[in-house]
Amino acid sequence: MLRLRRRAAEPEPEPTADLALEARDLERAFGDNRAVAGLSLALRPGELYGLVGPDGAGKTTTIRLLTGLITPDAGVAFIAGRRVAPGSSETLEALGYMPQQYSLYGDLSVHENLWFFGKLFGLSGHAMRERRDRLLEVTRLARFGDRRASALSGGMYKKLALACALLHQPRVLLLDEPTNGVDPVSRRELWDLLHEFLHEGMAIIVATPYMDEASRCQRVGLMHRGRLLAEGRPDELVRAFEHETLLLHTDDRDALEEDLASHDEVLAVSPHGSAVRVVVRAGAAEAFRRTLPEAIRLEAVAPDFEDVFLARVRDAETASGVGGPRG
Amino acid sequence: MNAPGQLAALRSMMLKEVRQTVRDPRLAVMLVVGPLLQLTLLGFAVNLDIEHVPTVVADQDRSAESRAMVREITAGDAFDLAFATPDAEHAMAAVTHGEAPVALILPRGLAEDLDSGKATALQVLVDGGEPNRAVIAQNALSAYAIGHSLQLARQRLSARAAALERAPRLPTTTVVPRVFYNPTLDSQIYFVPGVAATLLMTIILAVTAMGIAREKEVGTLEQVLVTPIAPSILVLGKSLPYAGLGLLDLALVITAGAVVFDVPLRGPLSLLALGGVLYLLSTVGLGLLVGTLARTQQQAFMIAFMVILPAIILSGFMTPVANMPPWLQPFTAFDPMRHFVEILRAVLLKGATFTDIAPQLTALAGIGTVLFASAIRSLHRSLA
Repeated sequence: MLRLRRRAAEPEPEPTADLALEARDLERAFGDNRAVAGLSLALRPGELYGLVGPDGAGKTTTIRLLTGLITPDAGVAFIAGRRVAPGSSETLEALGYMPQQYSLYGDLSVHENLWFFGKLFGLSGHAMRERRDRLLEVTRLARFGDRRASALSGGMYKKLALACALLHQPRVLLLDEPTNGVDPVSRRELWDLLHEFLHEGMAIIVATPYMDEASRCQRVGLMHRGRLLAEGRPDELVRAFEHETLLLHTDDRDALEEDLASHDEVLAVSPHGSAVRVVVRAGAAEAFRRTLPEAIRLEAVAPDFEDVFLARVRDAETASGVGGPRG
Repeated sequence: MNAPGQLAALRSMMLKEVRQTVRDPRLAVMLVVGPLLQLTLLGFAVNLDIEHVPTVVADQDRSAESRAMVREITAGDAFDLAFATPDAEHAMAAVTHGEAPVALILPRGLAEDLDSGKATALQVLVDGGEPNRAVIAQNALSAYAIGHSLQLARQRLSARAAALERAPRLPTTTVVPRVFYNPTLDSQIYFVPGVAATLLMTIILAVTAMGIAREKEVGTLEQVLVTPIAPSILVLGKSLPYAGLGLLDLALVITAGAVVFDVPLRGPLSLLALGGVLYLLSTVGLGLLVGTLARTQQQAFMIAFMVILPAIILSGFMTPVANMPPWLQPFTAFDPMRHFVEILRAVLLKGATFTDIAPQLTALAGIGTVLFASAIRSLHRSLA
């Protein structure tokens, strides 16, 4: 295929040593929409990274850029020290990928799906059987080997998809919202499974819109409008949070929430039982208190990860001059 | 991944396609029952032999001669008596209201005029809505009239010659046709090859296109594309099983054509197989191309439909290419169906040899290679 190679004179970018996965200044736009706008990531082997953000933040595009399914407009990515390019078998062999949507053959059985994807990764005979049996055991799918994938429950289906992505023992695992549509018990199981593989030195990226899942990761990146707003260990991100979190106890929660929406000092509003949880800009808590009616009781509480995320998004929107809905 | 690995991937890709096909009852029906049913239905329905045309007769003469003429006309295969009426207006109304396509009016005084040696005329009303049938009915009646006139002339001549005690002499010229390859001019023998080519294109194109589009729509293609399988292996794995099924369908249709419609098989089977393989290269390539262009199965189906219809019309299966307007004729050279119909007719009916159909085989190979290469290219691009 003909492709103009601009800046052909520039040296080929080199991967950083000892990293399982690396992305440098990735950019990708779809028309006017800059889905990924200058994103960099670095993962060591054995690291679990949570890519957290609301729907439309660019998580899926980021992951698909890392697989090579789509090409970046700018920037490079490396998997296991090899540059990601469309159809590059070296990076694909080191990569396990589980898309967000259904991606297995519903009319093939559990065994047949595993066998098919194993073959496509060049596995054969003994190695294939051994790994398949082990994965069926840890995912507790062994009893369902002959069942068609379309007849599996949401949680079992996801576990099968995970098994298919793990058969060839990848060094990097990319999971796009793996717990979407999965019941709480299966969700827990899935996370326990991930931690097991982590010990074997795999690097894992999990994209998720759920804040509670982010806290299960060793490191998280808060993603919004194609960029990382903050990155670090979840507890450190919470500890470094400068704004204040308050619980407002009221009789009329709906009215209060509506009222709070017009406050410039309020960065985030979320319901909390019968109370309202708000994040107030650092140093503005006292002034905010005075604007409230007497009947409302205030209680200062420790911020959690969700507070951090909501406030960071609000900060970013204020900085870029985008209004957006508050809260 | 190394070469043996790719080969193993190809094998399991093909196995997967076969499994999915076997497990999808709709697909299995479409691939096996469909061709047989359609060949039989189309073979019987697409029939250009015009026979047993319902005819209304208004005999206003009511003479022994007029009754004899009606008997003679409706005795053959060409015309069936729909009903008789003494009223010419009634007969005309039957044609205009579509009750019968042909009305025959024998005017009053017909026998008398014939007897006195005057020129007479039979009036024929024909529904031109179906030009083919109208022309054939008209020709059949003209031929009858000429034959009848000649017979009358011969009778008169014989009578006079007898009176003069001389042998009668009536010089005439007739046409003695000898039709090659299809002596009884059976249009089914002519049509079955066309139907076979149409069926093969429709089924294989649709199945291949839907196969790719389904993987896209369901999301399985995404999972396959993150494996190290080479794109060309992926394309082969998705097309070889259907090409095999296509050859099976071809054998099925030709056998059914021979059994049901007595279509002969005069040329070598190996030539048919070669033509079939080259034709399948085109149809599978076209299917892959449509599949990569479409995003959903529904889109694939729509595009396939838009490709198949012109392919059938330009193939010369319904109307000979020579009868098409001159500006349109060059385009038929790019229609793989045209070449395959010609190959089938030549091999089945005429017992053609390799050299006879070399131009068509070359054209098919060319078209097939271009289509297949474009399909692989287009798949490559849709990945990047």
